[in-house]
Amino acid sequence: MAGSQPPPVGRVIGTDDATPLAFWVALAEGQYLQLDDVVVCERVVPGLDEPVRVSGVVAQVRARHEGARFDSDVFLVADGVLPAATVEAAEVVTTRVEPEVYVPPLPGSPAHRAAGAGRDQALFFDRMDKKLPIGLGRDGQALYANLEFVDGTRGAHVNISGISGVATKTTYATFLLYALFHSGVLAEEAANTHALIFNVKGEDLLFLDHENTRLDDAQRDRYRRLGLVPGAFGSVAVFAPPRRGDPNAGPDVATRTQGVHAFYWTLADFVEGELLPFVFADAEDDRQQYTMVVHNVTAALARHGERAGDGAWRVDGRTLRTYRELVDLVVEKVTDDVEGPEWAGRAVGTGTVNAFVRRLLSSQRALDRLVRADVPERARHLIETDGAQVTVVDLHNLPDRAKRFVVGVTLRRAFERKEQTGTARPLLFVVLDELNKYAPRDGDSPIKEILLDVAERGRSLGIVLIGAQQTASEVERRIIANSSIRVVGRLDPAEAARPEYGFLPPTHQRRATIAKPGTMFVMQPEIPVPLVAEFPFPAWATRPSERDGPDPAATGAAAVPDDPFVGLPGSSSGP
Amino acid sequence: MRFSVDPWDPAYGASLVESEPAPTGAPVAADVEVPPDAWAPRRPPPATPLPPAIVFVDGVRRVDARTWIEDAPGSAQPGIFASYAAGAVRCDGTATVTAAVVGRGLFSASPAAADVETRAGRFRAHPAKDPSPEALVYALHDRMAACEVRIAEEARRRGDELLVLDGPLRTRGHLPDAVGVVKTHHVRYLPAELDRVVGALGAGERTPLFRVDAPPFSRCSWYLRLPGPDGGPWAGVVRCEIDGALAPARASALADRVSLALPRFASEGHKDSRAPQNLYPIGGLERDLRHRLGDAALVYRALRAASRAGAPGGGGGVEAAAGIEPA
Repeated sequence: MAGSQPPPVGRVIGTDDATPLAFWVALAEGQYLQLDDVVVCERVVPGLDEPVRVSGVVAQVRARHEGARFDSDVFLVADGVLPAATVEAAEVVTTRVEPEVYVPPLPGSPAHRAAGAGRDQALFFDRMDKKLPIGLGRDGQALYANLEFVDGTRGAHVNISGISGVATKTTYATFLLYALFHSGVLAEEAANTHALIFNVKGEDLLFLDHENTRLDDAQRDRYRRLGLVPGAFGSVAVFAPPRRGDPNAGPDVATRTQGVHAFYWTLADFVEGELLPFVFADAEDDRQQYTMVVHNVTAALARHGERAGDGAWRVDGRTLRTYRELVDLVVEKVTDDVEGPEWAGRAVGTGTVNAFVRRLLSSQRALDRLVRADVPERARHLIETDGAQVTVVDLHNLPDRAKRFVVGVTLRRAFERKEQTGTARPLLFVVLDELNKYAPRDGDSPIKEILLDVAERGRSLGIVLIGAQQTASEVERRIIANSSIRVVGRLDPAEAARPEYGFLPPTHQRRATIAKPGTMFVMQPEIPVPLVAEFPFPAWATRPSERDGPDPAATGAAAVPDDPFVGLPGSSSGP
Repeated sequence: MRFSVDPWDPAYGASLVESEPAPTGAPVAADVEVPPDAWAPRRPPPATPLPPAIVFVDGVRRVDARTWIEDAPGSAQPGIFASYAAGAVRCDGTATVTAAVVGRGLFSASPAAADVETRAGRFRAHPAKDPSPEALVYALHDRMAACEVRIAEEARRRGDELLVLDGPLRTRGHLPDAVGVVKTHHVRYLPAELDRVVGALGAGERTPLFRVDAPPFSRCSWYLRLPGPDGGPWAGVVRCEIDGALAPARASALADRVSLALPRFASEGHKDSRAPQNLYPIGGLERDLRHRLGDAALVYRALRAASRAGAPGGGGGVEAAAGIEPA
């Protein structure tokens, strides 16, 4: 920053305390500072060869009449009757003191708008070996996160909070993935790194591999400023549940006809993989006594049965081909006077068994199309993340109980495979919205256990969770606590006041309640204040009408939910 | 019983120093505009051209410390350390403080008085006529008035501004288009029958001109009632004075312009304890100037420190801040 410095934007004021952590700058005539601008001050400290540079970002700007004492004086000032000076001052929250001598900038010291290397230093970008672009600042320049806090080197996991529809959580998560894969930050590892996205709402994530036809040049330019080439994801595999009642088990999607695989588990997968506990993953199951019954039945099914071709399972000579048949068999066995204790467990009360039976019976509708052996066994019916860079699992058509089952089973499978390989690299990124459903703050469930495992051990295993939820206050604390990068979009005012968002300074909390779609507050461990990032309009299609090429399934467009980017000026040319 | 409450804060006294203000000793001519028997409240004609800009000039002063200056062993003379400031507000659509100077001085009749350097700046020695407290304050006032004149001369940029000075014109009469506005009436200039015209003034109305010849000054003067709450015959009344040497027609036109322009600047009771006579720009300027005088306790401490150092005659190496009045 030395050399040809522009004139200072202002000077540190002496009427409010200047501290090493925050100080106010009065703006010079004709100068302005806006929120998030980066400001740097210097101070000479005896005994140090170089001046201490205190840098920070503007958290608040105020303007007032000096010399006016009453509110109504403003009219006198405007009429030219009362002399008063209009003065603007900006509050700067310190991000960095270099060298680390924590002294306040002295009142009267000139404050400069930081640019180039000074801005990089203020925001710690100079210390980041691997910079992941996270969006553009209000100054139109790129903002970065340190990849070491994403990839597990020093931390992992991203957590995103915000109101559905306006916070654009999922879109931001996919933007982060795009940046990870296309910015070169992963270097040659990018080719082997995979992402697993659970699509919980609408079919808006099914077109990641289609370029967005609504992307204009201004938005393309924003991508380039981030060091990215705008485009679609190159390698995408889509898994969808089988269509209900379809004898061929074709995928149940309305808007995408090609490259979609139906996923299901055969009865053999179900029994051998011990998936039954994931059927009992609701909050209400947590309060019941039948957990023991679930585990006994899981074991008994494996003990008393064997594979029977095409994924079917044979127990006591009965070949089970559908989930319904499996449920019937289990009900029969656990309620049988003779075999009951063998299947349900000894000393289990009738009430408990009946409760188990009720819950098991009620699971049929949710799971009968996901657990089946009534179609010829195909090679690719299980969700695999190796086949493509990005794997999208479409859950939006499934009832909650089935969603939990799929998420739980898929995560466990990914987790176990990682455990087996024993190496963290290449990484697997898992994008999961509605975390509050899968890992609620209260209660216990097999899925929550898996997610906790991912949150706490995923860092060393190479599984990075990009989780999102409307309200962080409803999600298990340990999952949020283990997320190195925390992102907040538009927040509900009551939610913003909760302690979960304590990392946002008060002004940012207020700003989060009015944040536009596409604006995110990104907190990372190295930078003591959240960076306010605006990410560009998605370069990949988020609905059928945005994708290039013919649209054979146009009739399905009505089923597509609202565009999460409604309200974001598509043609805005940046700040 | 009908009574009214004077709008001024009681701490300032009343705008008319009651207990029968002393009649002036100077000859008063009440026939400048109209003969005395035709005296009546006058309202400036609405077609009177308003000045393009009005410059208000005012000064403030503060005694920072009293001192005894030893001029011979065992003998000391009184003096005062004081800060003073003068400034101007230019009202031409917006009100801006265009000029302000601050000075600090040591006022004493002692021949031993010399400049004193302190942390708060240099106090320059200024002689007073005699050691009486009145003479010391007069010397200070003189110094401040000199500053005001200089500010007023500098504040005039185009030549057709109206120059409003706080207080009587005194030595400032030579400034063209300058009008002194007097808030407190210590002296009675008019005979009783003409004084009644003052009581009858409505808001924005003025008395006819009268000339006061008190050598070396000759002044044309009139009373003007500013808009404000009812508060007795003299409430809201200011006395304006202009150079007595002006031709009657010019003086009359100037009086009309001033009387039309000033009511707009009259202050309101809840904002100024001397409302309405203490005009808004003057009040704002005074606050600004007092602020520029610096913290009184800090200046006092600096003086105590300097006296302990025992070094009148300066040389302390304290740099003079910008805006300090040069010697």
